[in-house]
Order: sequence, then C-alpha cells, then structure tokens
Amino acid sequence: MLEIAALSVAVSIVATLAAAVVAIPAALWIVHGRSAARTVVLALFGAGLGLPPVAVGLAVAFTFWRSGPLGWVDLLYTPTAMAIAQTIIVVPLIGTLAVISLRTSDDTLAMQLAALSVPRRARFYLIAREVAPGFAAAILAGFGRAVAEVGAAQMTGGNIEGQTRVLTTATMLAVGKGEFGEAFSYVAVLLGIMAVAAGVALTLQRRWA
Amino acid sequence: MGITAGRLVARRGRFVLDVPDFRADASGTAVLGPNGAGKTTLLYALQGLIARDGSVEKPIRAAAVFARPAVLRGSALWNVAAVVSAALQVSFADAQSRARSALGDVGLAIRWSADARTLSTGERQRLAIARALAVEPQAMFLDEPFANIDADARPDLRALLRSYVERTRCDLVLVTASLADARAMCANAVVLRQGHVVHAGSLAGVTSARDEYLQALVAESRLIL
Repeated sequence: MLEIAALSVAVSIVATLAAAVVAIPAALWIVHGRSAARTVVLALFGAGLGLPPVAVGLAVAFTFWRSGPLGWVDLLYTPTAMAIAQTIIVVPLIGTLAVISLRTSDDTLAMQLAALSVPRRARFYLIAREVAPGFAAAILAGFGRAVAEVGAAQMTGGNIEGQTRVLTTATMLAVGKGEFGEAFSYVAVLLGIMAVAAGVALTLQRRWA
Repeated sequence: MGITAGRLVARRGRFVLDVPDFRADASGTAVLGPNGAGKTTLLYALQGLIARDGSVEKPIRAAAVFARPAVLRGSALWNVAAVVSAALQVSFADAQSRARSALGDVGLAIRWSADARTLSTGERQRLAIARALAVEPQAMFLDEPFANIDADARPDLRALLRSYVERTRCDLVLVTASLADARAMCANAVVLRQGHVVHAGSLAGVTSARDEYLQALVAESRLIL
C-alpha cells in the first residue's frame, strides 16, 4: 500500500512540476507577449482542459509501443511514461489557471513600480510575489488532476505490481476482482492525498492573502 | 534640473499624441485638456512607460501618482516600505520608518496595517502620494492625484506636495481637470486636444485663452470659489 501511494504521489509530483515548467512561462507569454500565436496557444489550453486522459494515454502508449515511433527508448510501462502522459494532461489546466490569475492581477503594477524608480530586478521580485498565490493554486489543481487520473496511468504504466501500480489503477483492479475492501482503502488514501494538497493550497493562500 | 523633451510622438491604439516640445521644472507644469485629449498618454510618454518616438531628458529618480494607483498585496506600510527600500537601496528597517512618517503626512497613520487592496479609492490615492514622496524623487508625475480625496483634506495634501517641491526643487508635471489644483501647484500649463498642444505658456496666460474647454474650467472654478 505504502509503495503504491508513494508511487502515485511521486509520479504526479514529477508530472506536475514538469507541466508547470512548460505552462507557467507559456502563461506569462500569453498575457504579456505580442505574437499573434498567443491566441492559438490559449485556445489549445482551453481545448486541452477537456482532453480525456484515455486519449493522452493512447497517444503516449502508441508513441512508446515497441514498434512505435519512439519504441526504441523502451519507456512503455515505466513510471517515466506515466509521468509524460500526466504532464500532457496537466499542462492545459495549469496554463489556463495561470493565465486567469495573471489577468486578474493588476496589469498596471509593473508600470507603477517602474514609475516609482524601482530597479528592474526588484520589480521582477515584487511582481513574482504578487502572482505566486495564483500560480501555487494552479499547480496544486494540476497535481489534483494528475493524481486522480486513471486512464493514462493504466495504458502507459500497465499497472505492474511493484513497478507502475498506482492508487487509481490498483483500485480498478481490486474492483474487477470484487475486492471492495481493498478498493475502498486505496480510494481512502487517494482522498487523503487530495485533502493534504487542498490543505496546503489553503494554507499558502491564507498566508499570502 | 528640469524635464526637457523635443518632439514626442506616442501611440495608444488608434490615438496619436504628437507634442512639438515639452519642458517642466520645479515651478510646475499643469497638463490640461478635455477627457481623451492625451494627458495621461503624455505623462506616460515623458516617463518612458510606453513606446515613444523622441527623447526625454529627466532626472534619474522620478516618482508617479497614477489616476488609479496600483498597489501590492500587503499592508499600506509594506506597500510604501517595499518600494522605498528598492528605489533608494536602503535597509528595510530604514524604509519602514520612512514609510511610517510618509503615511502620517498624508493622514493614513492609523491605517498603516490595513491591506492596501481594501483601502477606499481616496485612501489608495493618499497611499500613492505617500509612496511617491517617500521615494524622494527629483521629478514627479502626478495624474489627478486629488481626484477622490476629501475636499477638506485637499489643501493639506496640495501643501504637502508643494512644500516638497519647493524644498527639493523637484520637477513637477501635474495632469488635472481642476483649475484649483493647477493654480496651487503650477506656474505653467500646456493644453492638449486630440493629441496636440493647443496652448502652452504661463498658467494665467493659458487660462485666459479663447478656448471653450478652458473657459468652462475657469467658470467652474469661479463658481466654486
């Protein structure tokens, strides 16, 4: 159980952080950049919010299948493949939420600080501090989606005991075998993890508010 | 020191500001004109906050009060102290004591711990004035700084800003729709209309010009006084 829960958390944390590394700079570019392609990327994020994990799982599984385009890297049925799939699932969510948080923050703030002779580096720090709570909420929401997702984890991980079994895929297997007690305990742990994530989000927001 | 600009062109969307030249010093220059004439655009262009063609010479340390001041998350005291510490490169403790005295000067002493985002519009403007003065600027750009401030507090705040300007010989540009504010703080004026300067010179000279907007401005100030 501990192993399964730990792998769930580890894979989803890696996927969420990887997604944040892509999505947050993208959000900054969407809000502050000038290129017309921004609208296209924002639309892709919007569409991606409803992206079914099974579709992503299918695409990643196909890509890493032994005879697939990237079959030679031998990643299918590894935690890495699961993390890659979850990253793709989570990028649109973090990106969209980060864009919303940037748009609701005062866009004249950067100008105001410049107009008060605040040096560039301090301006950057003060604005980062301003948008941090919104970004933290976006990242935690992303983690929630990643850890709760089952379709892609099943297809790219294969639910191999001791290797790629996570809470969601373990639950599916247990229900399939009629082991409801076991299934309920997995779900209880999963809900516990979600509660901790929500608690962290709330604490951070309180502290920053 | 003085603010000096040659021809200045700036665009905001379809609007084009085209000013042949501009000067301001400690005697104060008021920027007058109807809504949409380009007053704020001129202020932003002088400060280099928006893209512009033409160069502006001005002191390095400037401060601005925007018509709608932006504030940071945190207390009023923190808002001023964070800016002061960054702009003047002083320790945070030093910045805090300067911030406390600046907030006292604008009548926000008892509101120092309030979250800046919860302040009323007028209180936010006072905060913005405190913040601008605490930066110890050599040039000030004020955009309707008293618009939402109680009538009974306006004279004190005008006097506060004016005494700073007189003491430090700080250059002053004031965008305003109030002749009383302009008279209290500025000896000179430029009048904008649709992005162009239609009058420039001494405030008294400008306000006696044959101009519908200016005549209305003068009539209104007589009505009040």
